[in-house]
Amino acid sequence: MPITRTYLAKRILLLFLVVFGVLIISFIITRVIPARPELLWVGAHARAEQIERARKELHLDEPIYIQLYYYLVDFFRGNWGVSWRTRQPVILDIVTSLPATLELTITAFILAFIIGVILGLIAAINYGKVVDKAISVLSIIAASIPVFWLGLVLQTVFSIWYPVLPGGMRVDPSLVIETGFKPITNFYILDSLIQLNIPVLLDVLKRMILPVITLMMYPLGLTIRMTRSMAVESLQEIYVRALEVWGLPRSKMLYKYVLKNVIAPVIASLGLSFGYTITGALMVELIFVYPGIGYYVGMALLSYDYPAILGGIVFVAIIYSLVNLVVDIIHAWIDPRVKF
Amino acid sequence: MGLIPRDFFKFLVKRPLYTAGFIIVIAFTIIGSIAPYILTKPEDAWGVTYDLNKAFQPPSLEYPFGTDAYGRDMLNRVILGSRYSLIIAVCVVGLSLIIGVIVGLVAGYLAGFIGTILMRLTDMFLAYPPLLLAVAFASVLGRGVLTTIMALAISWWPWYARLMYVSVNSVKSAQYVEAAKVVGLSKFTIMAKYILPNSLIPVVTQSMLDMGSAILEASALSFLGVGVPPPIPEWGRLISEGWVYVSKAYWITFFPGLVLLVTVVGFNLLGDAVKEYMNPRLRSIVAKR
Repeated sequence: MPITRTYLAKRILLLFLVVFGVLIISFIITRVIPARPELLWVGAHARAEQIERARKELHLDEPIYIQLYYYLVDFFRGNWGVSWRTRQPVILDIVTSLPATLELTITAFILAFIIGVILGLIAAINYGKVVDKAISVLSIIAASIPVFWLGLVLQTVFSIWYPVLPGGMRVDPSLVIETGFKPITNFYILDSLIQLNIPVLLDVLKRMILPVITLMMYPLGLTIRMTRSMAVESLQEIYVRALEVWGLPRSKMLYKYVLKNVIAPVIASLGLSFGYTITGALMVELIFVYPGIGYYVGMALLSYDYPAILGGIVFVAIIYSLVNLVVDIIHAWIDPRVKF
Repeated sequence: MGLIPRDFFKFLVKRPLYTAGFIIVIAFTIIGSIAPYILTKPEDAWGVTYDLNKAFQPPSLEYPFGTDAYGRDMLNRVILGSRYSLIIAVCVVGLSLIIGVIVGLVAGYLAGFIGTILMRLTDMFLAYPPLLLAVAFASVLGRGVLTTIMALAISWWPWYARLMYVSVNSVKSAQYVEAAKVVGLSKFTIMAKYILPNSLIPVVTQSMLDMGSAILEASALSFLGVGVPPPIPEWGRLISEGWVYVSKAYWITFFPGLVLLVTVVGFNLLGDAVKEYMNPRLRSIVAKR
């Protein structure tokens, strides 16, 4: 167990610093760059007295460091402004739409990780052969494909031309009414399992297929490439070759020795690809009308709803920092060579 | 071609996939550079006119990529789009490189208080998922080619600053730097004449490999409506224009996306080629087989 209490304490302290940094940048974006920040806060069709009230509320008459102070206080009190589009407090909107995005991205991530490691290992074992080349090409395409385009193509093919899969939404509304499904946690898979509502569960899963495939492409490509190159190098190690000569079964060798060398760097790279996946969710949820944070921010972008855009982005950045913290800790736990 | 070692081409020729990537990149660069002069229907490409009689023509000999909702030839629009992708990618990577190299160089060599401040600043930017920060900046900066470049560069430079910082740190204790210090050269001279040239290669190589991602992210911004405004035929913009018609005219979104995919794949293949070429260990494994 290489993880010490000091390491954890240090990392958590660092997390607070990072969150502080995230807030400083969002402060610059919302309050320093725009010529009249109050207009972002109230919307395009606000009346003069509303704008005046916003000026007071945002403390825009005060010096900039006082503004920053109030910005931070407001942030931690949960006063993130009101969305013009939904006319609800931004923080409330975000909390209700978070589970949908998490359900989607976590599923995509786990699938990408499992499939990616397996394909990467297959490619490494068959290094230089046709299978390896095919998998390599697949991984390059997966890592290069524009998510928004792939989403549109899959939607066109599988729900318009050959309507085998639903092309949007989290669940069929009529099914919800028929079966009396009630969202409790807003994680629909969990909710339908708790209520033993199988029709809803199946519908939810069916509607997740296309968005998940679209979202998982980037992390999949990255995982295959990472696994393949680490496994190729590790198969060259003297001790692994020695084991081969001793006649250790290939599967056992892969599982016991190679996989261990491969997993740690792959996990380390997952943190970064999470950043891409969650940004991809922005476009994928828009295309598949999947009401998560991505859809929320995407719609906000299309309607210039600034409190919602920036609230959503700051929130995602904080989640991203948290994920990176968890990834680092897992990495340190698996690979004792990681130094701090 | 003095910049590229001659045996790199020998290395390429033996690997058809990498050669394909190289050809795609060269073709994209050439087409992007001369796009305005090879258009057959310039007024369609620039989007200044429209003819509703020709709207939604499926792909045919006359319109290989079909026509859009305003009857404009998609092939011409896609060709002109390559120019915007090229300009944006080169500017984003170039601008980020300049900022990143300066920040990394100063932070790495001066270390101490200034260095810490600069690197913490870099970390603040790295706390955001890359594209998301660009979206945030683009949303307040407004739409336009220039603002797209700025928004992307703001989210891009910290990666180069970090890389430069690491490579400056590995160079700064070299003997020739110590010698320069002993002779009494100023800090600025040492940085400019000794540290900079010797720590530049990793970050410049990385920046070349990043062109594909820059093209991809620029098109994502345009797709989300915060990148370049209409009627500029940037590829992400074209895909989002075709989005509403996707059930009746798939070609408006399909072809720009396909070209975008091929271009990015080309850059990534070339990037892999360069990485493999520069990693002797990987090459020796290949040679053994």
